[in-house]
Amino acid sequence: MSDTIRVVSVLPDLLGTYGDSGNAIVASKRLALRGYQVELINAGLKDGIPSGGDFYFVGGGEDGPQSKAAELLRVDAVVERALESGAGLLAVCAGFQILGESFIGPNLKPQAGIGLFSCRTHRFDGPRSVGELIVEPVGSLAGLPLLTGYENHQGVTELLPGAVPLGGVLVGNGNNFEGRSDGAVLGRAIGTYMHGPVFARNPALCDHFLSLVLGELAPLGAIPLEEAHRALYDERISEVYKP
Amino acid sequence: MSRVALGLNANIAVGLTRVASWAVRSLGAGDGGVLPGRILLRLYPDAITELSRSLPCVIVSGTNAKTTTTALAKEALSGSFEVVSNTTGANMEGGVACALALQAGRSLERSIGVFEVDEAYLPVIAPQLETKVVALLNLSRDQLDRVSETRLTSAKWRAFLEEHPAVKVVANCDDPLVVFAANGSASVLWVSAGLNFVQDARSCPTCGGEIDFSKSRWFCSCGFSRPEPDVEVDGKIISVCGKTVEAELALPGSCNVSNAAMVLGICEVLGVDIDSAARRMSYVAEVAGRYKRVNIDGHSVRMLLSKNPAGWVEVFDMVGNDPSVVVAINAQIADGRDPSWLWDVPFEQLFGREVFASGERAFDLSVRLHYAGISHRVVKDPLEAIRSCRCGEVSFVGNYTSFQALRRQLKNKDQPVLTEIRRLADRILR
Repeated sequence: MSDTIRVVSVLPDLLGTYGDSGNAIVASKRLALRGYQVELINAGLKDGIPSGGDFYFVGGGEDGPQSKAAELLRVDAVVERALESGAGLLAVCAGFQILGESFIGPNLKPQAGIGLFSCRTHRFDGPRSVGELIVEPVGSLAGLPLLTGYENHQGVTELLPGAVPLGGVLVGNGNNFEGRSDGAVLGRAIGTYMHGPVFARNPALCDHFLSLVLGELAPLGAIPLEEAHRALYDERISEVYKP
Repeated sequence: MSRVALGLNANIAVGLTRVASWAVRSLGAGDGGVLPGRILLRLYPDAITELSRSLPCVIVSGTNAKTTTTALAKEALSGSFEVVSNTTGANMEGGVACALALQAGRSLERSIGVFEVDEAYLPVIAPQLETKVVALLNLSRDQLDRVSETRLTSAKWRAFLEEHPAVKVVANCDDPLVVFAANGSASVLWVSAGLNFVQDARSCPTCGGEIDFSKSRWFCSCGFSRPEPDVEVDGKIISVCGKTVEAELALPGSCNVSNAAMVLGICEVLGVDIDSAARRMSYVAEVAGRYKRVNIDGHSVRMLLSKNPAGWVEVFDMVGNDPSVVVAINAQIADGRDPSWLWDVPFEQLFGREVFASGERAFDLSVRLHYAGISHRVVKDPLEAIRSCRCGEVSFVGNYTSFQALRRQLKNKDQPVLTEIRRLADRILR
C-alpha cells in the first residue's frame, strides 16, 4: 500500500441524493486527524472509477441513476478487484441494493446487481420505509454501540442463506418488515440502509470500518469534534430509542 | 359572471375559516393559512373548485423560490388585475383553499389567482383550479422523506401538462428536470433563470446518460438539450422576447433577478406590460418576513430562509459582508425529517465569520461544521444565539420551521399555551 490513503467516492453524481457523500468526508478527516496522508477522489461519471483505492463509498440515489450506476460498476469489476486486494467498502441504500444479486430497475423489473452480497431486493407495494432507524450490530460488529440512521426506501431486501446482516433492527424497518435486520457485512464490505450520513451519526462505526483495512486506530481523544459527535449521538439515541 | 353563489354549509365553512385565520394571525400563532385551510377542507371538501369558479389562475411551483416569485408576481400583476394569492408560504391544499375563502363573496371581475403550489401537490391542486398558466422554477433535492425524488416529480408534472394541453407554461430552460416536464406541453415560454445546484440534474431524465454542462447550453448525446430562451438575464437587464427592461429590485441577490425574469415571462404570456410590471416588482422589499433587516437588541439582522442545498447557494450570495451568521436547523414535518442534506451544503464558504449552530438539530449542524473546518458555537435557541453575536451585522439563516419560530418569537407573542393549542388542533385534524 502506498503512503497516501486513497478514499474513493463512487459515482457521486449518480449516487449521493441523501448527503451520503458525507461518509467519505468523515472517513477522510478522521484519517487525517490521525496523521495519515489522505486523497479524497470523487470518481464521477466522466472520470471512471479508479482501481487501487483503499476505501470505496457507494451512496443512495434515485431509480434511474441507480440502474445506470449498476451497469457501470459491472463493466470493469473495479470494486470487486479492490476488495480482493484489501480495500474496504461502504454501500448505503441504493448502493447497498446494487451490490446484491438483484434489485428493481426503473422499469420495475428485477435487474442484476454486482452479486457481492448474498441478498435480493424486491419491489414492495406497501408503504415506503421512511424514518429513524436504530440498529444493534451483530456478528463481527457485535460490541460496537447501537447505530443510528435515517432510512428512506421503497424496496425490501431479502438476505439469502449464509448472508450476515449488519445488525438487528430495534427501531424502523431496515432490510424488510419481517426479518428485523439491516444491511449486510462481508469481510471488509458493509452495506446498510442507514443515511444520516451513517458515519456522521456513528463515528465508532467509521473507525471500525477504517480499522478493517488499517488495523487498530488510536482514539481521537476529547477534541471538540468528538464532543460534537457525542452530543449528536446521544441526542439521536435518546430521542428515537425508548426501550 | 362574477359572484360565486354558495350553499349555506359552504357559507358557514367559509365564515369559520375567516374567523380561524384572523384568530391565528392576531394571536401571533402563524400567518393564518395552514390550519384554517385544513379546517375549511374538512368541512367543505370541494372548496378549492367551487370558490375558484371563473377565476383564471397562475400557478408557481418548484423546489425553491416559490414564495418569493409568487410575491413578485402578485405585485407585478396588481396593476392589471385584482390578485388573489397565498403569499405566506402555505402552499398545499389548505393554503390555497384559505386564500380563496378570504376573498369569497367578492366580485371576481378582473381578478386573477396567483398561487404558489408545493411541487408534489401541483398535479393535485392545478386540476381543481381554472389554471391558465403554470410557472415551473426548478427541481432539486428537498424533504425527501415527504416529496418523492426529483425525477418522479418531473414525470408527474409532465403527465399533468400532457393531460391539460390548454395550460400555458413558463419554464426555466436551464434546469433539465424542468425542461423534461415542460416538454409535455406544446405552449412553453422558456426563461433562462439559472441552475445553481447541478447535482440532481446530471443524469439525463430522458435516457439516463450524462448531461454535459460544460458549455453555456447543456445537452445530452440522446438529443435532449437546453431550449433557446425567450427571456434572458444579463446583470440587471432582463430581455423578454426582444424587449428589454431593467430590474431595480429591493430584494438582494442575483437569484431574485432570475425570479423577476420568471415573473416577466408570466406577464408576457398574460399580455401584461412588462415595464410597469418591473416597476411594481421593485417595491417588494420583503416576502413573508424574508430578506428584510430587523433590529434585535442592537444587532441588525438580515432574515434569510434556506431549506436545502440549492437554496444555500443563494444564501452565500446574500450573506454579503455580515461578519456573524446564525444558522438554525429544525427537522419537523415541514422541514423534512432528515437533515442529511446539510452534507451537500458547502459550509466551508462561511470561513472567517463568527458562526453559531442553532435550532432543534443544532448538533447535526455542529458535526457538519466541524468537518467543514468552521469553528462555531452551539446555542440551540436562535434568539439567544443572535444576542450572543459579537458583531452588529448578523445574517440569520433558518430553514422553514426555525425561521417561522424566530418570527413568532420576535412578535413577542409566542406563548407556550398557544403552541399547545395549535399542536392539539393539528393532531385532531391529521
